[in-house]
Amino acid sequence: MIRINEMFKKLYKISLVVLLAIFLLYVFNEIHDLASKSYLSEHYISKGVQETGAINLVTSVLYDYRSFDTLGEATVILTASAILAFLVPLRKVAMHGTKFLIIVHQTMIFIVPYLAVLGSYLILFGHLNPGGGFVGGVVLALIPIVMTITYCIEFSEYKFKPNIKTLLEDLGSICFIILGLFGIVTGSNFLASGQSNLGLGNPGELISGGLILCLNIIIGIKVGAGMAKIFNSLIKGE
Amino acid sequence: MIDIILYILIIFLALTAFFMVFTKDMLSSIIALPIFGSILVVIFVILQAPSAALAEAVITAGLTTGFFVITINKTEMQND
Amino acid sequence: MEILYFIVIFLFCLGIYTIISQKNLIKIVIGFTIVESSLILLLILVGYKPGGTAPILDKVYQIVVDPISQALALTSIVIGGSVTAVMLMLVIKIQKRYGTLNIDKIRKLHG
Repeated sequence: MIRINEMFKKLYKISLVVLLAIFLLYVFNEIHDLASKSYLSEHYISKGVQETGAINLVTSVLYDYRSFDTLGEATVILTASAILAFLVPLRKVAMHGTKFLIIVHQTMIFIVPYLAVLGSYLILFGHLNPGGGFVGGVVLALIPIVMTITYCIEFSEYKFKPNIKTLLEDLGSICFIILGLFGIVTGSNFLASGQSNLGLGNPGELISGGLILCLNIIIGIKVGAGMAKIFNSLIKGE
Repeated sequence: MIDIILYILIIFLALTAFFMVFTKDMLSSIIALPIFGSILVVIFVILQAPSAALAEAVITAGLTTGFFVITINKTEMQND
Repeated sequence: MEILYFIVIFLFCLGIYTIISQKNLIKIVIGFTIVESSLILLLILVGYKPGGTAPILDKVYQIVVDPISQALALTSIVIGGSVTAVMLMLVIKIQKRYGTLNIDKIRKLHG
């Protein structure tokens, strides 16, 4: 009796999922040629380079046309790191200890400068190449994470103090809003970089694109500090 | 030529997702997650989205796997 | 490229089935990750045009894929990483409180 009951329950779940699949099939049959009807993206593609000064259109959408989305995303990361820091007890908790060979310790010497150069490149050239503040920030945050895994959490927190990481994250959020208010001072909207008369420069050079370079650097530092804090909180949690 | 590569990638994507859900061992289920992410990165590059491919490679295939391994480490320690 | 819509439907339904049928809490978090990946793939697939180039305009191209959906996909990836971290921290807390990861046992213990 119990086996029949369990089989019926499993069949019920599978039929529910199959019904969902049939419904999704009807929906996707309607929307599969959506890309040919979007007039907004046509405007972005034809006028985007002149209006914002950035070659990479994804960056110009993220940091110029739709900067409010980026502000909300930064708020989500700040909230997540705050929740994790709230849940962690104050005393230290150790992980399963692992003794590494000397090969791992020697590889650390080569991999840390490589990660620093790669992260800085991805942040600084975010408006010319694929990349940007978020990806570069996470690559920079990999340095304290690799130190935590290879040595121990005390060494990582001795090299990068937790108070400094908290200060960098809060400072990033405040500087983002101050740079947004800079658009109002020059007589335009909040967080406007292309519409305000800043001098966009030649598209394709490193110093061009108005506020986009500054916003990239700020977001990169903020996301890097936030991700390193999240990982250390998860290791210290019990 | 690109169609054949795409079909092979799709078959491996479905296979990896199936393995990730239905295997009994928790650690091999988690180690299948970066393979899933890497196949998704190649599909994104074929679909002409390099920015999203970079973010997927760094975050889903790199950072999230670390989070899962830490969780396994913490929850196995209590059972011993 | 129409076959990619079927893989989106397959991954979405597999993730939903994982969430409603598996007993282990870490498996449920993996189900959330699969659903999120399928939605990112859908966002990029909607903006794709056959024969287009990536939206980096160092010179003038004829067909360029949609940049808006790619920006939304990038936003979704970063948010998904931090939300997964919060969920895993809650899993660690539940394991410390109840001593198990099976959700049937947790339900019985509670009342």
